[in-house]
Amino acid sequence: MSASENVPPILPEPAPPVDKTLRRLFLILFLRGRALRGLNRQGAPKSIGEKLALTLFFYLLMGCMALMFANQSVFALAVYLHAMTFAFLGMFVAASAGEILFNKEEGDILMHRPVSSRAMLWAKIRVLIEVSLWLAVAFNLVGLFVGFGTTRNWLFPLVHLFATGLEALFCTGCVVLVYQLCLRWFGRERLDSLMTIAQVIVSIAAITASQLLPQLAFRLHGALDVSQVAWWINLLPPAWFAGLDDAVAGSRMRESWLLSGLALGVTAVVLWLAFVKLARNYESGLQSLNETLSPRITARSGPRWLDRLVDLPPLRWWLRDPVTRASFLLTSAYLMRDRDVKLRVYPGIAPVLVIPVIFLLRGSMVGTGKGDPGFGVPLSGIYLGLVPLFGVRLLQYSQQWQATDVFRAAPLAGPMALCEGVRRAVLLLLTLPMLALVTLIVWFMRGSFSELLLILPGLIALPAFSLVPMIGGQGVPLSLPTDAAKAAGRSLNMILVTAVAFALSGLTSVAWSGGWFWWLVLGELAVVGTVYTILRFHIKNCGWPAETT
Amino acid sequence: MILLDKLTKRFGTQTAVDSLSFEVPAGQIVGFLGPNGAGKSTTLKMLTGMLEPSAGRATLCGFDLQREPLAVKRNVGFVPESGAVFESLTGLEYLEMVAALYGIPRNAAQARIKQFIAFFDLSFETLTDKLLGAYSKGMRRKVVITSALLHNPPLVFFDEPLDGLDANAAVGFKALIQTLAQEGKTIVYSSHILDVVERVCHRVIIIDKGRLLLDGKPDELVAGHNSGTLEKLFTQLTGGAELERRAADFAKTFRP
Repeated sequence: MSASENVPPILPEPAPPVDKTLRRLFLILFLRGRALRGLNRQGAPKSIGEKLALTLFFYLLMGCMALMFANQSVFALAVYLHAMTFAFLGMFVAASAGEILFNKEEGDILMHRPVSSRAMLWAKIRVLIEVSLWLAVAFNLVGLFVGFGTTRNWLFPLVHLFATGLEALFCTGCVVLVYQLCLRWFGRERLDSLMTIAQVIVSIAAITASQLLPQLAFRLHGALDVSQVAWWINLLPPAWFAGLDDAVAGSRMRESWLLSGLALGVTAVVLWLAFVKLARNYESGLQSLNETLSPRITARSGPRWLDRLVDLPPLRWWLRDPVTRASFLLTSAYLMRDRDVKLRVYPGIAPVLVIPVIFLLRGSMVGTGKGDPGFGVPLSGIYLGLVPLFGVRLLQYSQQWQATDVFRAAPLAGPMALCEGVRRAVLLLLTLPMLALVTLIVWFMRGSFSELLLILPGLIALPAFSLVPMIGGQGVPLSLPTDAAKAAGRSLNMILVTAVAFALSGLTSVAWSGGWFWWLVLGELAVVGTVYTILRFHIKNCGWPAETT
Repeated sequence: MILLDKLTKRFGTQTAVDSLSFEVPAGQIVGFLGPNGAGKSTTLKMLTGMLEPSAGRATLCGFDLQREPLAVKRNVGFVPESGAVFESLTGLEYLEMVAALYGIPRNAAQARIKQFIAFFDLSFETLTDKLLGAYSKGMRRKVVITSALLHNPPLVFFDEPLDGLDANAAVGFKALIQTLAQEGKTIVYSSHILDVVERVCHRVIIIDKGRLLLDGKPDELVAGHNSGTLEKLFTQLTGGAELERRAADFAKTFRP
């Protein structure tokens, strides 16, 4: 190539820095979200300020739970605040990091522009850290006042803010580090599935922690200090950051200083590894996302075993209808392979397991004896009955919702057979394992086989509950845009369902103590049988629901 | 303008592009053809700095691709086949963001964007009031083409640029690239619509399984192989000659 062929530069020389542009871009993308995908009829841009303010307000409200710790020691309050911050931030960053750090579509948009991978990485990390810090501060705001009120020490708000900032850096660093290591060790093809598993676990852990921690806190009786906690608590990251609070504004014991040192040291190492040492891998990681090879479906991935299983009795008999069978297999594949569905469904049904455990725990704490099963066991059964209700409802949403046009194009009078496939997939793949787990937990915590009978009212209600999401021809698998999932008034439904579950559990508990448990079972069988028949008749005659998008 | 010297890309044991070498002078429109999986998109992604070559060299606009990737990227425009955009941005936000990445001053960028809006018959309100996620495929494609040409690059790669464009927009686009070539810009045009390639391109490069099969002027190549049209030549070279017979056989399976 001759020098004469060089085209004179059209653009300003030297190339201007792009950091500000990238930061603004990733902040907008982060806050507006990527869930729209052409589904918004108006498609009007959402105010990122409004969205951020709402998110911060939500975190601020969640932080009000710190008021329960008003009379606790600094260490107990700090452990609570840091544990919750860790859980919320961990869940938030884990859920967002995949989209932000390794977004497949981004390659086609940005990688042929004059932007270095390092500049992109730094802009993304900066946005992740910024948003994490805002959320952490919003969540801890009430805690700051509670701590100040308890200690009357102005150092507490200062050191707690510092420790929270450090914790946000630690959380972000950990998630980025995990991504980089996964990419380095397992390669691009397995990154997605590994990170989905990690996100599901983190999300479930966060929900579990947020439900269990306040319950456990009631056992502290206001006297907990750093020297009294079990040794294993000091192995957990929230305790390190709590140590920092306690060392400066609390007991100032030697153990607190040791924990503070751990917090500072580990955070420094994590940040160095994630943002300096492994940053070079990022460029190759981004490039590897552009490789156009089709992902291989290995023998281990996907429900191949399920394909074989549905050809054998009893599943072959249970799934005689070909449409139901196809819908069952489709739902199963999404439950096992699709990242978006997994992240919505598994954390969505986690409370079903966690809340009864809390009541079982409380039952054992407040001293209900072996002869009195209290409220926990029947509640476990009723909540189990709710798994198909939540499962079928959550499985209506998908990022590939437009693909379900194929259902309407098929010669089907209505969605009944499709909905039946989802229902059966949820019963087999979600409810059955949950039943086994709940049975084990109840047996382990109560040590009595006879009390397992108290799960029965929940199991009887299960078939009727599982039909509820299908009323009016709803419940077609994967047919609704994911944005609708956010606007579906989940909290209100959850409150209503919880109220019914608590009422039924209370009735069961009273019936067991009063000796008329079997009469209750008979009565419930009659009522549920009637409701089930009516619902099935209604759903069978339902046509397709009107399209709203 | 473009110089490829044994450019190779391997994914594990699979070779997607195998020692590809050719040269393209300034002002030429080159049709870059091949069947699915031939390595066209991989080649384009390497030439635009999106993928790192496994071996070989490439020089674009006088800059070495591996040593000066950012300089190459500043002088290259690319319309990827996917037509991907950030769906959470409005069209205007997206184009302003792209302009900022090339260091185009805001006022100059807005003036340029308005020229493209007029050319593509887009409404300014749509561009400012709607998120890209709500755009039709054709409108989105127009935004992507605008974003590739906004910084006035001397070299432009188009990968299936007509996908989603209506007939009028497609006619306008073909006229545009011919004019751009007359202005001295180099265009690499990858497409499966062979009659368009035959009419628009000065030269055609056909690859298959990552290897160069043919390189020359469309009319000369067609005449040289006595194939009548570029489409027939393409099917002869890439093993599609039996397609008509296979289609007839397959159609028989639909008989009641």
